Amino acid sequence: MFKFFYCLMLPLLLSAATEQTLSIIKPDGVANHHIGDIIQRFEKNGLRVAAMRLVKLTSEQAGSFYQEHKERPFYRDLVTFMSSGPIVALVLEGPDAIAKNRELMGATDPKKAAPGTLRADFAKSMDQNTVHGSDSSTSAIREIDFFFAPYQIH
Amino acid sequence: MTAQRTLSILKPDAVGKNHIGDILSRFEKGGLKVVAAKMKHLSKGEAEGFYAVHKERPFFKDLVSFMTTGPVLVLVLEGPNAVTKNRDIMGATDPKKADKGTVRADFAQSIDENCVHGSDSPENACKEISYFFADTEICPRTR
Repeated sequence: MFKFFYCLMLPLLLSAATEQTLSIIKPDGVANHHIGDIIQRFEKNGLRVAAMRLVKLTSEQAGSFYQEHKERPFYRDLVTFMSSGPIVALVLEGPDAIAKNRELMGATDPKKAAPGTLRADFAKSMDQNTVHGSDSSTSAIREIDFFFAPYQIH
Repeated sequence: MTAQRTLSILKPDAVGKNHIGDILSRFEKGGLKVVAAKMKHLSKGEAEGFYAVHKERPFFKDLVSFMTTGPVLVLVLEGPNAVTKNRDIMGATDPKKADKGTVRADFAQSIDENCVHGSDSPENACKEISYFFADTEICPRTR
């Protein structure tokens, strides 16, 4: 009996846990008409869109989203950039969604991003680097909550 | 050419099959800008209200039940001749009759589950946009 149960459970235990992560297509990605290109990469790589909306952040909202970088020298420019035009906020869901999304995005600096990653293909510079993705499960929870109420996540 | 706006809906079949990116890239490459977007699961009342013009048609009940089977992505697209342009990109209502390379020819299974909705006139576009979006939810493309 135990053996039977174990055989049933083993694949579940070994498979990666389903996670949610927050992704943002930044003002440069939206302005350069890459919304579809970017979402295609997510959908073709096992991440499903569970929530999505286009929004233009005020500088106060952008400042609050990036509050952990408040003391960093790049903070003011980042806030200005993130409120320069509409963005697309997304909740992506799938196995290891946080790591998977970061792998698809590539390194923060597009010059250092691996070929075939979003930043290598679509980003112009370290400042305008096309996409944001949560860096941990703690930030994913905070960032998803920043943009979406539970009823908006499907 | 002045910019025009139209309402587009990616229906539950398109969202369920993970074709959001595929379809949005068709719009963007066709010169249409996304100026509003939200994913939502329509209630029966919302779907009935949206399709109220078809209330007396035989397909009304099935259409409403299909549109509420899963989340949809509601969009406002903007560009020159957006209403016609969007209809060109979508293709004929019946995927079997849709031209090659259109969204319905490539992604839709049947006339009932045909992936996308698009306003059929500029007047209806205005009505449909205001059915789903407040003015504050529409983001003029400053860049």
